[in-house]
Amino acid sequence: MRKNILVFGFNRISVEALQRMDGDALDITVVDHDKERLQLAAEHGFHTVCIDYRNDDDLKSLGIGSQVDTLFCFFQEDSENVFLTLSARALDPDVKIIAIVEEGESGEKLVAAGANKIIDTYQICGRKIFELVKKPEITQIIDQTVFGRHDLHIAEVCIPEHSKLEDTYSSHLGLNQRFNLVLIGIVDKELGDDLFFTTGERDHLLNAGDILVILGTSREIRAFKNDVAKNLVEN
Amino acid sequence: MIARISVVSAYYLKNSRRYQCCKRFVYDLLENPNSRLKSWFDLFMICLVIVSVSMLVYQVENQTGVWGDYLEHAVVSVFIAEYLMRLWLCSDTHLILIRHYEKSEYLNISFQLSAPLKEIAGKKFAYIFSPFAIIDLLAILPSYRPLRILRVFLIFRLFKLFRYSNSIKVFSDVLASKRFELITLLVFLGFLIFISSIAIYLFENPIAGGNITDLYDAVYWSIVTISTVGYGDITPQTFGGRLVTLVLILTGLGVLAFFTSIIVAAFNDKMHSLRENRTYAELDRYHRFIIICGYGRVGQEIAAQLLQDKQKFVVIDQDDAHIETAKRQGILAIQGNVTQNETLLNAGINREASTVLCVTGNDVTNVYVTLSSRHLNADVTIISRANRHDNVKKLHQAGADHVIEPFAIAGLLAAEYIGQPVAFEALTGILQEQKDILLETISVTEKCMLQNQEIGAIDFLAYKLTLVGVISTHALHQHHKNRFQIKKQHFYFNPDSHFHLQSGDMLIVLGREYSISHLRDQVEQSKLMH
Repeated sequence: MRKNILVFGFNRISVEALQRMDGDALDITVVDHDKERLQLAAEHGFHTVCIDYRNDDDLKSLGIGSQVDTLFCFFQEDSENVFLTLSARALDPDVKIIAIVEEGESGEKLVAAGANKIIDTYQICGRKIFELVKKPEITQIIDQTVFGRHDLHIAEVCIPEHSKLEDTYSSHLGLNQRFNLVLIGIVDKELGDDLFFTTGERDHLLNAGDILVILGTSREIRAFKNDVAKNLVEN
Repeated sequence: MIARISVVSAYYLKNSRRYQCCKRFVYDLLENPNSRLKSWFDLFMICLVIVSVSMLVYQVENQTGVWGDYLEHAVVSVFIAEYLMRLWLCSDTHLILIRHYEKSEYLNISFQLSAPLKEIAGKKFAYIFSPFAIIDLLAILPSYRPLRILRVFLIFRLFKLFRYSNSIKVFSDVLASKRFELITLLVFLGFLIFISSIAIYLFENPIAGGNITDLYDAVYWSIVTISTVGYGDITPQTFGGRLVTLVLILTGLGVLAFFTSIIVAAFNDKMHSLRENRTYAELDRYHRFIIICGYGRVGQEIAAQLLQDKQKFVVIDQDDAHIETAKRQGILAIQGNVTQNETLLNAGINREASTVLCVTGNDVTNVYVTLSSRHLNADVTIISRANRHDNVKKLHQAGADHVIEPFAIAGLLAAEYIGQPVAFEALTGILQEQKDILLETISVTEKCMLQNQEIGAIDFLAYKLTLVGVISTHALHQHHKNRFQIKKQHFYFNPDSHFHLQSGDMLIVLGREYSISHLRDQVEQSKLMH
């Protein structure tokens, strides 16, 4: 099933985000109340809709509450994002809402309004620069590999039902030898939705639905994903 | 002959390292405003002056024994030594000699000792007659027995205190900046006292029935009255005298108010630069610090992190509100235009600054600051923020070592969230150091336990760590797979178990802070045990 995604506000962040989204696998709609910005978005080849986000009926007409999976609030003003988050959350308790924050203190308000994830651009940037000062090697590696230029990616693999990985212990996976991948962390559904980084503190028994976060080249990630999908235990 | 000897010895001094070191030391001790030694020396001298003056006060009514004399001798010898050293410091005699000698050599005329001697003497005398030198001399002279009569000049020792604290300098600077107003006031005051003295004398002379016997009394009375002190030892008796008094008191109030306001205004004007000077003085004490240009949201975030990490840094911004925020947080801040070289130089880009962060919201400013920072200091690390992707290349061209694109990072994280929310979580977790899980480097040093080890032989799990990769410049590793070129180094992702670690390599591990520092400590210890 194709995911239905709404991006509110067309600006620098949405351009960056849109460029990295897989347009073939996702139904992406750019929404704004400013005609000029939408014009620009249309020139970039995106599907655009012009509505007033303050109107609940307009939001419903976009499919919030029915088919929309994820909503990005990329407006410049925090107040706009808070309002949009609040309206969307009221229409649909399950939709995923990701919002950006301009001022630090607005983050709490967005969470209170029902956003699932807050992206504080300036905070992330500040921390990143600090990291560069403090440990330049690590930051460079993350920058150059995960963030693009080199073929090294972070990916998540969900363990399907009847997989042969079921009932194995995470310490026995041996991903680094067998698949040339590094296991970064595991979401053990028995213990909730938290990500446990692989630090050898506890050995996780894998079940269907658990998620492995791995680091590796795209070819090997694909190989592993195929392997997980194929090798189902024959019933 | 004498001329020859003096020139030779001048050259000898010029080339003598010992002499230079010696002079440098004395300069640091006495004059260099940035040296720590001078602050200690000043403190010592202040104590010495206070001790010697307290003894003087004690001697007014009591007898001090032989120890008192010893102390006095000791104090005076320190003063004399200090005086002579300052005299020595005030000019470089040998350099003057050499300059004159080389000049006459060049012009092919015979070298005469008289000209340089005249210049040297002139310089030394100029110093001797400077106010501070005179105070120094007067503090010493009265101790000389035949000059005992000058004992009252021992009070000059107290004036010496001014030399060791810069408060008097600040005060005189402030006064000097308002010279015109003060002179106007002084002239006005002079006229006023002159007129009132004459008037009161005319009204209140003994023949007219008053108390003022002569003009000296009249001037004394005028000053006491105009300053609103009013002792009351001389009071006007006649009608005319009282009228003069009334007028004088009222004008006196005005004059005082005027004087006070001038001083206050002058201090207000100076306050800004005084504070700035304090900032610079504080900066001078730092070794390896970071300059943050721009104290907006990003700058504040960096500052908060750096504070937590106890790193030294200074903030430059032009905006009043930003500077105010920084000062409230107790952060060193300089208000100024970062695009001016002077601001960066004042902030110490040429001294101990290790890193410059250009994080203003304006790419034009960032490019400009990057360019001028690189121009001013070729070795400093420059990290710059690019708000538009097109400017990344320009910033690199301008000399930035690293360029950060806040919007690109945010966009990336947002995009990752749709497909891979957990990976997204991991990435932000590592980036923002949540849950105290860190990605850290562990250096393989000469003779440590990791050197020449195979990766397979190290049990990272036992250390509760996950090995992600190795950074190395070593050519030996180049046949290994998963090699990524990063600047001048190579990053080997997930190295296989035959990977031989060499000194200079860096392991990249994921784990909790304790596990990482535990392994680091062990590596350090193994080096010492070797």
